[in-house]
Parts: sequence; structure tokens; C-alpha cells
Amino acid sequence: MAPENSEQEFLRPPSEQNFEPVYREPSYYNPLNTFRLPSGQDRHYQQQYGDMYFLRLAKLKPAVEEIAVEAWEGFSIAGENARRVERVLDVRQGELCWVAGTIYMDMPLKPNILDDLTKENYTLAPPPRPTYQDPSHPELTQIMLEDESGRLRLTGSALSSTQLATGAIIAVLGTENANGDFEVIDIKVPDLPPQPRRWEKDEVDTAQKESSKGKIAFISGLGITGTSSDTLALELLTDYLLGYTGPSEQEDSPLPNASLITRLVIAGNSLGTSMTTDTSADNAAAAKKKTGTKKYGYDASAYNASPITQLDTFLAEILPSIPITLMPGESDPANFSLPQQGIHRAMFPRARAYCAPPPSGDEKQEPGWFDSVTNPWEGDVEGWRLWGSSGQNVDDVLRYLNFSDPESNPASTDGDVEARIRIMEAMLRWRCGVPTAPDTIWSYPFQTHDPFVIETCPHIFFAGNQPRFKTAVIEGDMPLKLNGTDTEMTGTDDNTLGPRVRLLSIPKFKETGELILVDVETLEVEVVKFGTFAGQQEKQ
Amino acid sequence: MPPARRRGGNTAATRSGQSTLSFGSKSRVTKPSATPTTRSQKAKDLEPLVSSLPEKPSVESASEPEEVQVTPTEPSQPHVAELAVRQQARTEIEQPVSEEDQKASNITERDLAKYWKQEEAKRRGPRVHQSDLTTHEKILRHFDLSSQYGPCIGIARLKRWRRANMLNLNPPIEVLAVLLKEGNDSKQRAYIDELLS
Repeated sequence: MAPENSEQEFLRPPSEQNFEPVYREPSYYNPLNTFRLPSGQDRHYQQQYGDMYFLRLAKLKPAVEEIAVEAWEGFSIAGENARRVERVLDVRQGELCWVAGTIYMDMPLKPNILDDLTKENYTLAPPPRPTYQDPSHPELTQIMLEDESGRLRLTGSALSSTQLATGAIIAVLGTENANGDFEVIDIKVPDLPPQPRRWEKDEVDTAQKESSKGKIAFISGLGITGTSSDTLALELLTDYLLGYTGPSEQEDSPLPNASLITRLVIAGNSLGTSMTTDTSADNAAAAKKKTGTKKYGYDASAYNASPITQLDTFLAEILPSIPITLMPGESDPANFSLPQQGIHRAMFPRARAYCAPPPSGDEKQEPGWFDSVTNPWEGDVEGWRLWGSSGQNVDDVLRYLNFSDPESNPASTDGDVEARIRIMEAMLRWRCGVPTAPDTIWSYPFQTHDPFVIETCPHIFFAGNQPRFKTAVIEGDMPLKLNGTDTEMTGTDDNTLGPRVRLLSIPKFKETGELILVDVETLEVEVVKFGTFAGQQEKQ
Repeated sequence: MPPARRRGGNTAATRSGQSTLSFGSKSRVTKPSATPTTRSQKAKDLEPLVSSLPEKPSVESASEPEEVQVTPTEPSQPHVAELAVRQQARTEIEQPVSEEDQKASNITERDLAKYWKQEEAKRRGPRVHQSDLTTHEKILRHFDLSSQYGPCIGIARLKRWRRANMLNLNPPIEVLAVLLKEGNDSKQRAYIDELLS
């Protein structure tokens, strides 16, 4: 934190030198209300979840069929042309054909609502499982393709080389074998949606566009518990973001200039998990002991307000200098089912002064300096389209997949991190940000539109609360290449100037002490690491 | 943490000491086709009030409690799904008139009959159990079971039609015509939904 040259600045008479004031770059910000649910009376839960799968299929089927037609039209094996089949139940045995539908995976350890209902003595929710696969019985995992007509079991070696999860929309080429299973030869996914150009949505004049430089800061998993254990790291973070950490003008400074940071995005889990559950458990035990009568609802005496108070203090301290976008996460005080709605401003008595005023009427209002948004969230920052979540979607898809097999990744610890980035890429190529909702992630029952379908490709796609930092750039070409048989793949040529997406897996700040900076010019990524115990920061 | 689930059978048996399950009219809340004799006193009191009110659902919908929506022809306790569907239908009817609505309003009864004849011709046999239904009802039930326009459970027919139209699935315009012709009196809940719930 203290480079050598700054030490020489001490112990000398006060200088008369006037220092240039440092100004923070302005932020251009335009959040999209893609995931905002209707409030109050208009939010219903009677709808069926089947509607969501129908909507997803109706939206994505034309996209995947377009790609499939391009790839498979005129495809033939031994003189038999591949035929296009409209519904999965129209597939005839022994006929080479292709069909589009939704993936459904039946897995031995996947939670099943029917099991819960049939068990008489159902008392506790089962603990979250690390994976839904049963390693001792891999044959129990079945992959099926479904649409509104029915289901078709998929089999074949092409499946084992591709990772799939429930809810993804794909097209498969193959033939039905004697067992009634569909022998898959090739798979196509919808691939990246069309990407807007930078500044497409915002009405910003060209002078501003040219002058815009800076960095967007991402952080997740602050894990504030309200105890003294997290004070030091938070202090360091505050000091850095406010520019207190020494001269930032110097070129040889190891730290990226904090005044270039135009916006801080907090991607979930700002409060620690353990504290919230502990208090509720204590609360229940204490209430039982104290009185025989049952007490329902909120008990003010057992509520521990210190985590949220500390978060509020932290936010209020940096808000005068830097705009913040706050997303809720799994452990935050927001609704649990996706899309999580923003943490209510009443939780932040000090920081809410920077919020936008409460919505009145239907007119579109300016986003606040402090914006408490949904999870997942979509919006434009500095002209770039961002799509991000607090990480539940990646965690859940990971439970479907089996990355532990040695041929795909030898290093076991890195494999997980690698897998997470690959999942994020796959989600973009499936055009579905939360494919496993509503199957294994709780979700609001959408009836007329499925917001989890990604209709415009983001420039930055991030997921919070991941174990390690990892970044990658993907481009819009075909992810699944055939070896040899498919020579007519012309789709890649069209996409050379296609979408480019920066993927970010944002680590938990509580565990790694890392803040991610993304340059708004080049989308290059830097990591600022706060070594709490070493007392120094280092740039990676 | 979800609360512990208790099956209703246990508690009912201990309370009344009854050894067999009863499917009497008291416990029946689902079937809208229940006889009007089971109507509660409260609903009876409301009846004259409802019938004297002008038929303006758009004004009432925001403030009135849902009890008022019970029309005299309906059973005393509509299913919760029924209420949800009715509310959906009300908001759908309040939507501004769209291009399709205009087109649908030009469709005459003769066109509908023609459409239905075409649909009938696609089938191999006649619909034996639908002889006592009107053409309108037949068209609507046929639309309910056309799965390519999405699930019909828990959604108002009008909303389902508009959703299918929004997704460019080309739902038959005749169905919209029927729905708009019947207006507020039309049954917005799919028949299969009533049967299943």
C-alpha cells in the first residue's frame, strides 16, 4: 500500500504546491427492467410452470431450426436424406431425421416435487446437493428431448461429448433405434443471439462517446456478517475505491487508477449466509423455550440488524464518490425465487438518499445513483450491454454436468473453474440465462414471456459468487464442430464479425479479496487483490 | 424453510371421529358445477346487489373484493384458479383494441360455421359427445386442446390466444372472434381445466 517513493514525501515542510483535483469519470447507465416483476396485486402465483417451457420453446425453436436447416439440409447417409420432423412424437423408427425440442434430464439425485408430496412425514427440505449425478450409477441419468407432444429418450456417443442441462433448446439429428431411443448423430444449439453495437441504445452525442474511458468494477460475495472479522477488508476496499490509497497519478503505480472506475457492480451475497441462518435458528429455539404458545411472523427482539447496518454504512461511505448497482444474491434479504427483486430501500436508511425516488405512476424515471436492481440483471453501462447474475444459475447447471471424467480436464481444482466458464458460454449459446429454472431453481411462474431467454447478446456476461476468478472471450461461431462428416458448414464464415462476449466469473470477495476491473475501451480485465493479512495490494 | 406438510385426512378424522372419507357437498370446493342449493347465506345477500350493479367490470376490478364477482348463475365458491383466470380475462378485455380485434370483429356467424365445418372435415369421425354444445363452445374447446398454442391450464382463453399470436404461432382468428363476441359472459377458463381441478 505504501510504495517507496511515497515514503520520501513525509517529514518535510508543507509544500505550497497546488495539486490537480482528480475527477471521477462520469458513468453512462441505462438499466433494463427485463426482470422486474409486477408489484403487489399484479403478481400472481397460480400460473402453471408448463407455460415457461412452452414460451422458451416457441421463442428458441425458430432460431435453432434456422441453424439446423443450414447445417443439415441435404445431409444424407447412404443415400437417405435427413428429414425434418415437426414434433418429437412424429419421429419414425429407422428413419434419418432431425427434430428440435427442450432437453429434460432425469437424474437419480435430482429433487423431485412428487417425492416431497408422497412422503407423509416430510419435515425438512433436503440439503442442497453438490451434484444430481449418481457416480455409482451413471446409467440412471437419462437425457430426453421434449416438446408439447411428448418425450423422446436420447442416446448415442454424441451426447457424452456435449454437456447438456434441463431446459436447453437444441436440435438433434439422428434416427430412432429398435429400443425406441433416438440415436443422436449431431446436435445444434441456437448459438449467440444478435449483438447490438456499442451505444446502440443510448442517445449520447459523439463527443461524449469519444471521451468515455474508464473501468467498470465488479465485486461479489462481500459476505458482511456484522462482526469485526470483515472490517479490515472492507476498509481497504473503501479506501481504494475512494482513492485514498496513495498517489494514483504516477505511471509506475502498481494499482489501476481508482478515479477511472465509473461504476461499482455488486453481484450478490453482500451479507454472509451463516449469520442470517444462525439467528433464525436461535430465534426458533428461544421462542420454543420461552413460551408454550406459538409465535408467528417477525420477532423484533431476535433480529440481528448489524450485517445490513454495516452494509448500509459501507455503501453510504462510498456512494458520494461512485455510483453503485446492487444485485441481491442467495443470502441477501430479497425474495428467494428468481428473478430476485432488488433489496428494498428501507433496508438502507443511509444509502437510500442516493436511490431514485419511489416509482409514481407509469412514467419512466431516471435510474438512481444507487440502484438496487434485480438478479439476474440486464443493462447498459458505458454503452456496453451487461447481463449478469449472482451465480445461482451457474451453480445449478454445474450440478447437472459431469466434468470429473479425466479426459476432459486433468487438473481437478482448475476443472471446476474451467467448467463454470464453459457453462457460462453454453448458456449464451443456448440463449438461455437460467436454463434450469423452473426445474431446479425456484422461479416466478411467467406466463406471457420468458425473460430468461437472452434475446440480445450482451458484451459482458458475468456470474457472481464463483470460487475463483476466471475470464474468457467467446465469439459467435459454432461451438460443436463435427469431425469430417459435415463439410457444408458455411455458418462460421458469416460470423467472423459476429458477436464477441467477455465472460467474467467473479470470485467471492470474502474468500479471495478480489475486485474485478473491466476497461470500457477494450473490455480488458484487471484484478485488484486485497491481501488483508499481508496488508498490501497487488495487481495481477 | 418450508413448513411441515400435514395431510388433511388425518386431522379431519381425529376431529370428527369419522371413519370414512366424505365427498359431500361441504368439502367440495372445486367443482363449479355444484348445485345452487349449496350457496352460502353471504352469497345470497350479495345477489341483488350484484344484479343491480351496471355491468362495468373495468371500473370495479381495481377496488372491489372478489366476492362481488360471484354472479347469480355461478356456484357459491369458485375455485381459486377460476378467480385467477377471471382476473386475467378482465385485464385482457381492458386492453386497447388491436388490429386483430378489428379483423375478428368483422367475422360473421356464417364465417364461424364455415370454419367449424372445415375443422370437422379434418376429423375421421363425428364428435359424439358434443352434440348438445353450441358452435361457439365447440370452437373454444377445440382451441383449448390444440397444444401447439401452448398449455391451456390456468390461463384465460383470450390471454392464451393473444400470447400465441404474439409468438407468431398464427392461432385461428375465428377463435378470437368467438371470444370477443361473447364478451364478458364468455367462459374464459378451459373446460379441461375445470375437469382436472
